Amino acid sequence: MTAKLWAVVRREYLERVRTKGFVVATILGPLILGAMMIIPVFALRSSSKLLKVAVLDRVGILGAPIEEALRAARFDDKLRFDVQPAGGEPTAEREAALKKAVLEGTLDGYLELPADAVAKGRASYFGRNVSNRIDLRTMERSVSDVLAGVRLAGAGLDPAKVKELTRELDLRTIRLSESGEREDQGAAFIFAVILLMILYTSILMWGQMVMTSVIEEKTSRVVEVMAAGVSSTTLLAGKLLGVGAAGLTQFLVWSLSLFGVSLAMAGPLAGTLPMPEITPLMLVSFVLFFLLGFYFYAALYAAIGASVNTVQEAQNLMWPVMMPIIIGMVAFPAAIEAPDGPLSVAMSMIPGISPLIMFLRIVVQTPPTWQIALSIALLGLAILGVLWISARIYRVGILMYGKKPTFPELVKWARHS
Amino acid sequence: MNDKAIVLRGIGKAFSGHVAVKDLSLEVPRGSVFGLLGPNGAGKTTTLRMVMDILGPDSGTIEILGRPADHAARDRIGYMPEERGLYPRMVLEEQLVFMAAIKGMGRREAEQRLGPWLERLGLADWRRKKVNELSKGMQQKAQFVATVLHEPEVLIMDEPMSGLDPVGMDVMREAMLDLRRKGATIVLSSHQMEAVEKLCDRVALINRGEKVLDGSVAEVKARHGKNTVALAFEGDGSFIESLPGVAKVSDHGQYVEVRLHDGADPQPLLREAAGRLRVRRFEIVEPSLHDIFVETVTGKGEEAA
Repeated sequence: MTAKLWAVVRREYLERVRTKGFVVATILGPLILGAMMIIPVFALRSSSKLLKVAVLDRVGILGAPIEEALRAARFDDKLRFDVQPAGGEPTAEREAALKKAVLEGTLDGYLELPADAVAKGRASYFGRNVSNRIDLRTMERSVSDVLAGVRLAGAGLDPAKVKELTRELDLRTIRLSESGEREDQGAAFIFAVILLMILYTSILMWGQMVMTSVIEEKTSRVVEVMAAGVSSTTLLAGKLLGVGAAGLTQFLVWSLSLFGVSLAMAGPLAGTLPMPEITPLMLVSFVLFFLLGFYFYAALYAAIGASVNTVQEAQNLMWPVMMPIIIGMVAFPAAIEAPDGPLSVAMSMIPGISPLIMFLRIVVQTPPTWQIALSIALLGLAILGVLWISARIYRVGILMYGKKPTFPELVKWARHS
Repeated sequence: MNDKAIVLRGIGKAFSGHVAVKDLSLEVPRGSVFGLLGPNGAGKTTTLRMVMDILGPDSGTIEILGRPADHAARDRIGYMPEERGLYPRMVLEEQLVFMAAIKGMGRREAEQRLGPWLERLGLADWRRKKVNELSKGMQQKAQFVATVLHEPEVLIMDEPMSGLDPVGMDVMREAMLDLRRKGATIVLSSHQMEAVEKLCDRVALINRGEKVLDGSVAEVKARHGKNTVALAFEGDGSFIESLPGVAKVSDHGQYVEVRLHDGADPQPLLREAAGRLRVRRFEIVEPSLHDIFVETVTGKGEEAA
């Protein structure tokens, strides 16, 4: 019995793992994943092109210090501005010339300081692109510093001394969790979404793999030969274990390389790139919820595969089965927003949705242990229930050819076999 | 030790109102070649599937090799279903070793036994090919190897000759008889009775899920008497049907099998034939299983009516 089960598991595993698709996906997966995480960071940070700006000073004394401040302004240790010389009085002609230069593209933008700039703390930036937040924030800060300096000097204070005394608040966000604290530089959100996508696609992909393989056994008629050697339960168990092991292999390669990359980057690149934290709990739950989710859906898919003759016929039976996981996918932003909210907690308990939402909650904000345990227990029970029903439908279905059974017929199979 | 390979006692099976097998009892002696014969839809496949525990009988009991049928007993049976099937993307040798493994044979032993079988069926050059690269005929032979590789004591083959070319049939027949000489019991099902008639030493004829008759081939034929004439000729034989004493004519063109009424004398037929046709052969023979079957089934029908 166990020798036979092992033979089936081995066959299913090797058949999946030996395909080109598996090898390519397993190796390319982490590479694409790494690129997805790193490229946006570089794209955001490394635009080394300086912004060409000019200053139109209607106050009269601010032009030079602001130009100087902008030339020295840095973000991420890089200079940001290429300041063009003012070139004379702030006349209407001068302003028109600057506008023309911006529209023609010889200048990226200009900064206008109105006559009451010092008193009211106002300035305007005219540019073709005004959505480059990092540059504009840097500009705002530099100008603000200069204006403050002028005001302080007017009040008879030493700007350098004041600056030292009123050091600006630098609010860092630090995520606290049982495994310790770590600075989160905003990548956690993107990271959570990427992991969720991987979980979602992997569960569905490997689940459907079970369905396809059941249908193939029916189409190639090999199932009767198999049924003469092993019981339908052994066959189903072997299939689920074998395909599951293949999925797990790929998933482990992905998770471990993710872990490895994050460890490698934490060292030399610490601080320069916003690497999200990967805790062992996250890694373990990533793999665990993949497996649980896989078995929940794979059992359902096996029943579908057994009750149809072709993949086409399976299409309309697949939709109702996929509903829970799709709900999870649609609802995840809400769960990120309020991981402890009643909706998130409820969804993280419903089998079928829970593999996605409970995992997400663990990534965003570690939920109480009892909630994790309850979620896993409910999912485990649901898997047993689904397996029980599926095994019955499977037993009858694999030898049925011809007309696709109706839903009441499927219920009958499950009840009477 | 029990001398029966398979014993069925009153087994029955119905599918949603339709009765496929009804109160069927059979005994297959060890070492025999047993033919389970009947038209399409008679219940042959359902019966064999119940023996293999692919379907559970609604009633009755099944004994295999002197023991109540369980999985261990079924591992001693090689089963070739009517619908042949192999995993299309699997390499042939791995596939066959796998098939033996699910019948409880160790991988190493299966690997050792595989070589001679592949040689014998001319598949040696293909052992590393995937099944879907094999021709239909080669797949049939591969299927046969898959059925026998684990050295079954009983071989159950559902419609073994269907889809085989004449050469393939000969190879298969020889391999089967060889297994039989080594002591294996062979059960064949077929709707083409002539094709397996010569192979079998015992038969059971079933129709609409019920046994019509069974016994050794000689017995069955003797029971139906020696009142059939095989007549080969040249000319127009259409008059034969209307001759006195003739019950039924199976017309094959230039060859007829004439069934006479019980106790009728074949001599007048010979004289008529010799007078009007160029007779190449005239022989008093046993009726074919086909004729016996048709006769029994229609006879029963009349009785019932």
